[in-house]
Amino acid sequence: MVIEIADVIISGLINGSVYALMAVGLTLIYGVSKAFNFAYGSFYSLGGYIAFLLFSLSFINNYFVVFLLAVPILLVFGYFVEKALVAPLRKRDDWEIKVMMITLGLALFLDNSFQVIFGSRMKSLPPFLEGGFEAGDFYLSHQDVGIFFLSIGGILLFRWFLNNTRTGMSVRAVAQNPAGAQIVGIPKEFVFAATFAISTVMVGMGGILLAQKYFITPMGGWDILVKAWVITAFGGMGSIKGGLYAAFIVGMLEAFVGWYFGMTWTLIVLFAVLLTTLAVRPQGLLGKWG
Amino acid sequence: MDHKRITFLLALIWAVVAVLPLFFGGTNFIMHILIMCLIWSVVASCWDLIMGFAGIFSFGQVAFFVTGSYASAIISAQFGIPPIFAVFIAGGITAAIGILVGLPCLKLKGAYIALVTFAVHMILEPVLKGDIGRALGTGGSRGLLTIEPMHIFGYTFTTASPVPYFYLMLLVAVICSAIILVVIRSHWGTAFLALKDSQEFATCLGVSAFKYKLMVFALTSFLTGMMGGFYAHYVGMLSTRMLGIDLFVTLMVILVIGGVGKFPGAVIGAFITIAANELLSPLGPYRPITMGALVVILVLLLPDGVVGLFERLFSRKQHGITH
Repeated sequence: MVIEIADVIISGLINGSVYALMAVGLTLIYGVSKAFNFAYGSFYSLGGYIAFLLFSLSFINNYFVVFLLAVPILLVFGYFVEKALVAPLRKRDDWEIKVMMITLGLALFLDNSFQVIFGSRMKSLPPFLEGGFEAGDFYLSHQDVGIFFLSIGGILLFRWFLNNTRTGMSVRAVAQNPAGAQIVGIPKEFVFAATFAISTVMVGMGGILLAQKYFITPMGGWDILVKAWVITAFGGMGSIKGGLYAAFIVGMLEAFVGWYFGMTWTLIVLFAVLLTTLAVRPQGLLGKWG
Repeated sequence: MDHKRITFLLALIWAVVAVLPLFFGGTNFIMHILIMCLIWSVVASCWDLIMGFAGIFSFGQVAFFVTGSYASAIISAQFGIPPIFAVFIAGGITAAIGILVGLPCLKLKGAYIALVTFAVHMILEPVLKGDIGRALGTGGSRGLLTIEPMHIFGYTFTTASPVPYFYLMLLVAVICSAIILVVIRSHWGTAFLALKDSQEFATCLGVSAFKYKLMVFALTSFLTGMMGGFYAHYVGMLSTRMLGIDLFVTLMVILVIGGVGKFPGAVIGAFITIAANELLSPLGPYRPITMGALVVILVLLLPDGVVGLFERLFSRKQHGITH
């Protein structure tokens, strides 16, 4: 019983950490540019498939090289998606709904391209660490520990980027006041594209990390989109700290509900909690209106 | 577009559609597609009303449609109510659910509303497939396979001869679009415009955002649920596959092609999209890719849809005359 609960807590923590990485990405785009990205889940699958493709090359056999190659690919991809699809819509009055529509179209395009290119069968990635800690019945794989620390590391790196680099500071400035940021000479368009690119990297990384434990499927991203979305709304859209708390709460909730009531109930309970939170606090845990 | 032109355009569309069976009446396959066009034109118009006119980012339209179709099928099967009445009861049930969903949404903004309504969509599948759904009679993951066909005054509509059902659907679509038109023309429509432009200012002038937004939720979910019922009794079987992303995107493509907030646009969009979807079917697995690419390209090139394009051409001409 105790071991079981410990297992549940660990699985909640690990999923929570990866969710945090992905939710921070989603909340970042919303916080900075007020755009909602429906293709976010497809970018998750894209990350997984890029890693899968890289591993299928004979000379690549460790995750260090994969990360080194996947990050620039995702960064460039995200940047161009923003520049080509989202930026032209920004001039319009009803651009919010137009952005939702165009990213939904992009999601459909990407998901079905994956289906055609890779087939609908599940793809898996090799675990990046073998073995595990053992103590009696208790088992903790090195892989899980690695995923946890990589996700947390990613978030900390992102935090460092926001607080200490020039680009990071301009991202924060644009999030606070787009017009003011532009007056003092911050290139707003570049910041929008850069945040989109960074969030693409974050969710793509999440895809590579989780694909080792679960699998990559063409439509698997929708589940992730909904979860990341729930977490960002729960924590408050645009609030990174709120997203972090919410990610761990959702990870734990999911693990415990899945263990106690069965997996089919997780989504229902998740939404029940979300609706209750939004009924009491419409702006989410730590969100602000505006 | 002014109201007179909307009315004229609608009348023209329905008149053209009404004579189509003269050419295609013999081909059941084409009649079936036309019936689907009629059903989706109403559902898409409702979505346009709530999203384009009222400015509420509701993503629960497919969920309301599926709720209505299941409700109608279950009511007619379990209580022996004739389908023609069951359809309206299903509309009522869907409207009640629409109000329930609408209530929390009124406190929320933009993307949050999209999330809550999309959540309804996501939850519906496990609910319909799970124990709760099975207790209600949804047939679990197998779905409902034998739904009573629609019959009025002893006449039964069958899929084997779809022309009569086509005219029934045409009648329903005409009535529904008339209702939507009346809503847009009445002080509801003006209130929505005011609320969309500036909610604070409109509320100060005494326009109740709460009342109007709840009313639009109730109305659109009633009509959508009712269309779901008509769909269920026509097709004769239901499964949760409708909740997949395909249908949702098709509905979105209809709005993109027709133009958001350009009312008869959704009707035109429905006919173009459903027909294009069928024409693209030889592409097999490449069809959804093409649809996705089409959405992206159309949003970029034709942001106001077909109707927007016409408006642009028309206003340019007018421009030339006045100068």
